[in-house]
Amino acid sequence: MLSPYTVLDLSDDRGEMASMILGDLGANVVKVEPPYGSSSRRMGPFLEDAPEPENSLQFFAFNRNKRGVTLDVTTKAGRAALLRLAEKADFVIESAGPGEMAKLGLGFDAFEKANPRIIYVAISAFGQDGPQADYAASDLTLAAMGGPMSVQGNPERAPVRLSVPQAWLHASSEAAVAALTAHALMIQTGHGQFVDVSAQTSMIATMLHARLAHAIQGSDMERAGSVLQAGAIELPLVHECADGYVVLIPTGATMTGMVPWMVEDGIVPEEWIEGEDWATYDFRFLQQQPVVYALEDVFDAIRRYVLLHTKADMLDRGLRDNVTIAPINTVEDLTKFHQLEERGYWLMAPLPDGTDTAVAGILAQLSETPLDVKRWAPKLGQHNHEILIEMLGMSEAQAIEGGATIPQEKE
Amino acid sequence: MTTTLPFDGIKVADFAWIWAAPTTSKYFADHGATVVRVETESPPDLVRTVGPFKDGEPGTNRSHSFGDFNTSKYSLSLDLKNPQGANVARRLIGWADIVIESFATGKMDDLGIGYETVKKLNPSVIMVSTSLMGQTGLASTYAGFGFHAGAIAGFYEITGWPDLPPDGPFTAYTDGVAPRFLAAIMMAALDHRRRTGEGQFIDASQLEMSLQMLAPQIIDYNASGRMVSRIGNRSRIAAPQGAYQCSGEDQWCAIAVETDEDWANLRSAMGNPTWTNEDRFSTTEGRLSRHDEIDKGISQWTADKSPQDVMEILQVAGVPAGVVQRSSDLMRDPQLKHRKFFRELEHSEVGNVPYTGHQFRIKGYDNGPRFAAPMLGEHNDFVLRDLLGMTDDEITEIAISGALV
Repeated sequence: MLSPYTVLDLSDDRGEMASMILGDLGANVVKVEPPYGSSSRRMGPFLEDAPEPENSLQFFAFNRNKRGVTLDVTTKAGRAALLRLAEKADFVIESAGPGEMAKLGLGFDAFEKANPRIIYVAISAFGQDGPQADYAASDLTLAAMGGPMSVQGNPERAPVRLSVPQAWLHASSEAAVAALTAHALMIQTGHGQFVDVSAQTSMIATMLHARLAHAIQGSDMERAGSVLQAGAIELPLVHECADGYVVLIPTGATMTGMVPWMVEDGIVPEEWIEGEDWATYDFRFLQQQPVVYALEDVFDAIRRYVLLHTKADMLDRGLRDNVTIAPINTVEDLTKFHQLEERGYWLMAPLPDGTDTAVAGILAQLSETPLDVKRWAPKLGQHNHEILIEMLGMSEAQAIEGGATIPQEKE
Repeated sequence: MTTTLPFDGIKVADFAWIWAAPTTSKYFADHGATVVRVETESPPDLVRTVGPFKDGEPGTNRSHSFGDFNTSKYSLSLDLKNPQGANVARRLIGWADIVIESFATGKMDDLGIGYETVKKLNPSVIMVSTSLMGQTGLASTYAGFGFHAGAIAGFYEITGWPDLPPDGPFTAYTDGVAPRFLAAIMMAALDHRRRTGEGQFIDASQLEMSLQMLAPQIIDYNASGRMVSRIGNRSRIAAPQGAYQCSGEDQWCAIAVETDEDWANLRSAMGNPTWTNEDRFSTTEGRLSRHDEIDKGISQWTADKSPQDVMEILQVAGVPAGVVQRSSDLMRDPQLKHRKFFRELEHSEVGNVPYTGHQFRIKGYDNGPRFAAPMLGEHNDFVLRDLLGMTDDEITEIAISGALV
């Protein structure tokens, strides 16, 4: 869909998924790395636990559908080559931090001069300006300052984040939306756009209905472990089962299917089946209208039932009977979930060590312009020859001067 | 002079509900598209029935679980099971550039407005069906919420404390993840349609989109058998990291030492207490192996300071530190104020209330929600008369049939 467009990805681990999304949607993405490689090449997990630039799975995961060149933008030749690439590009994405690119003479002004229709997307922790724009940040502090930590975790302990870093991925996916929104504006006005993406505000979005709680109802929402706060009602979400945990709430459809299961196991008497209009049970307890069986008794029955069964069995039976039970999956459990296989979700990718491995697939299934992965993450400088020498017409000496330290033969 | 907006002239028929899909169509609404949210009072969108409610008082039009996710949209109340209601839906589909829905798989077909019908009514339409598991496969009818998808994807397993059952991310995590991917896909499809005239059908699974957020960990398991689990606030590669309790009631500041230099800066910011003088603490390995002890020392230092003071002292020293902010703290946050992040808009029933703005700013226009969320059915007349061009007689007939509820 985006095949007419070229994206220059100047970002590091804080922005690489943005251009990956555009690449997945068909854009021609050129990843420009410094000669020593993107910061994400030094981030784990690593293949074989060997922290080598070509072994980073962080880099491998978020740089598919990109070609890669190396340029040293601290040199004049490197900057000149970059701006020449920009002449033919439609998007530039960077995550260097407020003012860092401008210091190198590579701010929006320089790119706009090279290409008046360019969309320049700057990803940073707090935005490009403002009293805290230069604050040091990490995934953890962004989860704190963006709010989601305040509503996450056991109330007896400290607030928690997700223990796989997420903040820069939220900012990156937001940056992809921002880039295409700005592009839609450019199509109408003909003018390039500067786009300023804040990771902190990207995290606020994940607070969902808690983000404005105080301003609306006069009180904050507080962390409650795995309890779902639905207005005045609190619903425990996580229940221990025979081999782990499941997430389950007594919605109308779920109770309609599940009460007979519980009768079968002798957890509740048979009169439960007819004794309640289960289809509207959730609506009534949410509205605090009368119910036959008290919510706490229903949860007690659920707890006793799920303890006897495994998460995979309950998921499978639930799919047959419209009972919504979600196993708390490990990565291993996830890879065994038949739905993903059935939809052809997993893609086989050739890892840098020569083995093939299943990886997360395309973003969605489109009827007329199916998405695909045309290439996997580039090796450092893999396309220097193709892009700098063949496409831009630089000599090998010029390319080396510009930081393309390992110009290679055509792919 | 009116400002040009990115999606000026784009028309969206929005049959979505709850959070994920309405957040997706909100991107188009806030940035200029005409979005008609089709809903009904029997039953109302589930999120209209849960808080936070304005002033804590329940009411269909008082919930910000609905409001903050539906700014800049028009509301049409329509009973899709009523034949006249179904007719109106077909008119709306003919009018639209984009149709989005997030019902249980197959429901649109049952209502007579599945993709095959939609395509006949409007050959170049972009139709988006989004659900937890996608439109095909045995689990396609799985009728769950974002917390179900969050558990299946693996986000629960990695959230909480290693010695306790998983706590899970707050509520429906994937509802906060999927809209960004889907909005980007739809914007690309819209650009393709602008250039080629070709519409299409988009089958978007919330689970599949959300798994990108765990992509390296999935490859790591497949390649090495290693599995991630929850480790509180700690990092696997740096220490110390955590949320440390400060003075006041349940007040915390997050501190993340990422390098040896950060550690040196943290030590000096704390006044070089003697417990930090150990050689073993000078390396990441040493600090990781004695994390509990270090946490205790830091907590002693933070205990009598406000989280703001801890953050400011450490930021001066260049150490990543941030207050664990509640919604009330966000309203006071100086950086968010500078970005004019929260926007007050006049809602027809609850009056002037704040809404969240955008996570990005585009130079050249003041991008944010354009107008407040609608009351249920607030724009019935506007939609039927002004957008669909119906006459008074037609509108009266539809109203009498009982379809506009």
